[in-house]
Amino acid sequence: MWQRRAFLQAAGAGFAASLMPGQSLALERTALVFASAVQTAKGRYGAVLLGEAGELIASIDLPDRGHDVTISRAAGRGVVFARQPGTFAVVFDPAGQEAPLTLTSVTGRHFFGHGVFSPDGRLLYATESDFDAAQGVVGIYDATDGYRRLGEFPTHGTGPHEMLLMPDGVTLVVANGGIETHPDYGRSELNIETMDPSVVFIDRRDGALVGQLRLDGGLHQLSIRHMAIDARSRVWFGCQYKGAPSQSPQLVGYASMDGVIKLIDLPSDTLRDLRNYVGSVAASADGNTIAISSPEGDLLVAIDADAGQPRLVQTLRSGCGLAADGAGFVASSGMGELIGVGENERAPQHYDFQFDNHMLRV
Amino acid sequence: MRILLIAVMMLALGGGVQGQSLPKPMAAEAVLRAAVVDVIRPSVIRFDAVSRGLKSAVGSLCAEPDAGGLAIARQEFGQVVVAYGKVDFLRLGPLMEDNRADRLFFWPDRRGIGLKQVQAILAEQDALATDLAGLKAKSVAVQGLGALEFVLFGTGSESLSGAEGAFRCAYGSAIAANIAEIAKALVAGWYLPNGVADRLQAPRAEYADYRSNIEALEEIVGLVAHGSEALRDKHLKPFMASAEKAAAPKLAAFWRSGLTMDFVRANIEGMRALVALSGVARAVGEKDQGLDNTIDFEFRNAIRALDLVTLPVAEAVADDKQAKALDYLVLVTGSLQGIVGEQLSAALGLSVGFSALDGD
Repeated sequence: MWQRRAFLQAAGAGFAASLMPGQSLALERTALVFASAVQTAKGRYGAVLLGEAGELIASIDLPDRGHDVTISRAAGRGVVFARQPGTFAVVFDPAGQEAPLTLTSVTGRHFFGHGVFSPDGRLLYATESDFDAAQGVVGIYDATDGYRRLGEFPTHGTGPHEMLLMPDGVTLVVANGGIETHPDYGRSELNIETMDPSVVFIDRRDGALVGQLRLDGGLHQLSIRHMAIDARSRVWFGCQYKGAPSQSPQLVGYASMDGVIKLIDLPSDTLRDLRNYVGSVAASADGNTIAISSPEGDLLVAIDADAGQPRLVQTLRSGCGLAADGAGFVASSGMGELIGVGENERAPQHYDFQFDNHMLRV
Repeated sequence: MRILLIAVMMLALGGGVQGQSLPKPMAAEAVLRAAVVDVIRPSVIRFDAVSRGLKSAVGSLCAEPDAGGLAIARQEFGQVVVAYGKVDFLRLGPLMEDNRADRLFFWPDRRGIGLKQVQAILAEQDALATDLAGLKAKSVAVQGLGALEFVLFGTGSESLSGAEGAFRCAYGSAIAANIAEIAKALVAGWYLPNGVADRLQAPRAEYADYRSNIEALEEIVGLVAHGSEALRDKHLKPFMASAEKAAAPKLAAFWRSGLTMDFVRANIEGMRALVALSGVARAVGEKDQGLDNTIDFEFRNAIRALDLVTLPVAEAVADDKQAKALDYLVLVTGSLQGIVGEQLSAALGLSVGFSALDGD
């Protein structure tokens, strides 16, 4: 349920009482800036919508732990996806006018925590698992028809995680983490020896595979999970290493639609402090800086996208969520902190809820 | 001699956890030291010792195959499964190197890959699988306890008591040698100078794995939180009946050898010993001093439930009382995961609670 009182206090009852498309857009511009899944102080799960100053605009209860949020201005809707292997996605109205709609994954599928809308807001795409076949799929939902599931197409890999829409508006890029899980076994990872991660580009109009890229050099246990797109339309990705903990392979790289996939060289001390784990990746507003986070290592790193070199390293306990903000980024943590990163001089804020792994800039 | 003494001490401590008096709150350093010295090292030493016994027993069976030798090999296998139950949840350091956890025990095997591969090795009499080096080059699913269980207890295992089982025995012998080699590597890893044991006991900012006492304590707490979750998700729920599915006892680990619940019990006892002997739940502030008792109470509940499951799993899931005990075990493991992963974490000021808990 929407926490109406908080919402009305923040936005004004009169303003919230109507929902014309223009007003909805105005609301988003003036009030709603960030969205994230959270765990409340009482251990319950939800999602929060925050304003520019970090003020709580509204919250949504979730039946279980959420993960990422996507919002479409065109659709006037946002969606919180269940953390894998969850089976729900909650569609909400950022203007607070309509009750949330809970979607349930179809038989034989579960969500993977991420999804995107089409540019016109008419279709919603979600990464899902066909868990009996151990194959990833993109579920397609009709936002104009109660989010009816229209069908699916394969991600050409196992364990799809984050999915983004490329700037061409047509191509979906999916990070196939490569790890097989099955709801019968909770979150147990079933194929660590033989995992096969990849980045795939898929034409969202027909599901055609545009390209599939894999890291070579014995890096099949480097699970590609989270991504952001830079000013040159390169897809930056962050990985989680599932091999021997005594090894420290590079964890951050980029892929492009012309077939390049490359890991950048982070300095050894930075790499050490990432602890073989990147939890979130975000691009700055101008697309020239990429931020990555490691809640395992309590580390945030801002990378110059052109040079492929770190510009800034900052610590944040259990820090994971990242979103563009002004000239820099905000970062959120599993301890309830929201701070400015880099050139962003936002004053740190503390909440009585804990942020999940991702922060969306609306 | 020192190793032997530690092993003897560990055996002596085996049943003594429950009767321990609570010491005063322990500093993090003492918790970390006790975790390594009193729990982890003794557990891998025991596993190493019984693995060598298994290797020897299977070797003897192959040299002089008979029913007595087969019985001894099977008995030794049981010892190894129980010892590994106290190691399996120690998912840090040496066990996580070189795919050792999967090589020792590839589980769960949802699609029965291991069984198919093992049956193919036996049917084709693949000589590579009878040589340690050749075996190590093969799939992890044919190298460890799951494969050896089929060799010793699966269809056709009676042949091991005669000459007709020579190939099967040679393959089993290679597996036993592989298990023993890995067990030895675990012990070596936990005694390596400047290795994981030293870093875990005395964290330093420049270490890649444990930069502070907080991170080292997170590791210890995470072993039990994640271990409880894994026990439930990998070793209980898959074979139990639920609203959606009937019981499937052949999805239980070690059902052929009847060791399913022995492994579960060893796992519970191992985690209980880690909490109790390390004192991690006593290293908390005044207001959380009851946590240690709460956690041990849940472990005792789990053991009481285990005591009720006396039948082989195929019969236990069909018996009302024993099926309920299994259901209760699922609840208790979930409770332990929450108490340790959330309440104890919070009481210790750890960040294991949320975004860093188990990745995504």
